[in-house]
Amino acid sequence: MNSRHFIRQFSQTTTNLKTGYSTVLPVHHLVKVEKAKLKPCYSEVVIPSDDIRSNKFKPTEIDQDRVQDHYYNTLESDLLLKFYEHDSKTIPGLKKREWGTDSPFKVFRKGKRKPKGSAIETQDIIPINYQNIPKLNSIVINSYNKNALERPWMNICTRLQLATITNKKPKILYNKSNILPWKVRRGKECGAKVELFDREMNQFITTLTEIVLPRLRAFEGIKLTSGDTNGNITFGLNADDILLFPEIENFQELYPNLNGMDITFKTSARTDQQAKTLLSSYGFPFYKPVKNSG
Amino acid sequence: MFSKSTILNTNNTFKVLVRYKRTKGSGEVNAATQKIVNQLSVLSASRKQPKLLNLCNEDLIKHKTIMNAWNLFKSKKNLKREEQLRKQYESMKNAMEDLKNTNKHLYKLANSKPNKKEVDLFPIEMRIPTDYPPTIPWIYSYKPRK
Repeated sequence: MNSRHFIRQFSQTTTNLKTGYSTVLPVHHLVKVEKAKLKPCYSEVVIPSDDIRSNKFKPTEIDQDRVQDHYYNTLESDLLLKFYEHDSKTIPGLKKREWGTDSPFKVFRKGKRKPKGSAIETQDIIPINYQNIPKLNSIVINSYNKNALERPWMNICTRLQLATITNKKPKILYNKSNILPWKVRRGKECGAKVELFDREMNQFITTLTEIVLPRLRAFEGIKLTSGDTNGNITFGLNADDILLFPEIENFQELYPNLNGMDITFKTSARTDQQAKTLLSSYGFPFYKPVKNSG
Repeated sequence: MFSKSTILNTNNTFKVLVRYKRTKGSGEVNAATQKIVNQLSVLSASRKQPKLLNLCNEDLIKHKTIMNAWNLFKSKKNLKREEQLRKQYESMKNAMEDLKNTNKHLYKLANSKPNKKEVDLFPIEMRIPTDYPPTIPWIYSYKPRK
């Protein structure tokens, strides 16, 4: 049933999503020999990337990071106060169960049974103390472009769009399965994604909260119902909203094929509740979606 | 593989393949294609990396000394911050323990858990500080939104 297929190679063990027609795996091309360790003339390559002599060196701490400073100076202690509960204990999360041995049909079942009352496992909720105050780990920007399935050049536009917004080279997304009515073919390019850390992440937060989101007319905020129950919050922006990013706003004719994107905040909070409180402290608005009756 | 003109027989119809003037690799592309090519060249890494710094030994030692000092400064600052948080946590814990022993009712109020679906949000007016003060520095008649 599992459509993913694993090709065991010496060089990699990850899932291979690209389609190919070679049945014999050319292992000798794929095994990377670290020549630097063999030959003295490659000694330059051994230099770590954060060393100034390395050709990969990129200066990072070139200015004040005011978002990080704000978190350390104000938010951290506020959050500690907000989340403190006296005499609280670890609440165990929902975990996968054993099948049991009461029936012969259960003996050869693959994997474990799903947790009771939930389709997915949840984390243990550990009480907050001064060492595990929730913080933002990273932001993932994911842009699925279904138009790129028929016209592959459209994906270049999406990649460029993400690269200009985030100042980072995006990774290409590939389809994982074959779904005929959607023209989804395994191994086809279908968008791009970027993961932002540290300074780039903080820069992106200020761009969102100070320039983009306040100017969106229809934007009420992030839905209070969003979240994956493990402390990661997602919201989406349309193609029209992306025009408001300052990098794109003044060069609109260069970006004719913009694509909407999903922005996921990965936090170290154990619950969505805490993650939302954390995000609101950075200035993200939240709203309660009204349920449609009838 | 084929000579200048070849005749193929497929399904009883004769198709004559003739070589014409080459149009594909002539280097001229239409404007729309050129736009995409430009976009792709922006994404590629070639010729975008600045030149490698060639530091002399003395400069390298200077740089390393400065970076060591900076890292030491940062780690001290972090330790101080963590110590401050620990103290805050200890004092909160002590205060609550004290309250628990003196007044059960007040302790219950102070330690009440929020509803599981209610989210405690920071006010939207709170902003990340900038170098210059905001146009409205303080809202005196502040009322939280509902």
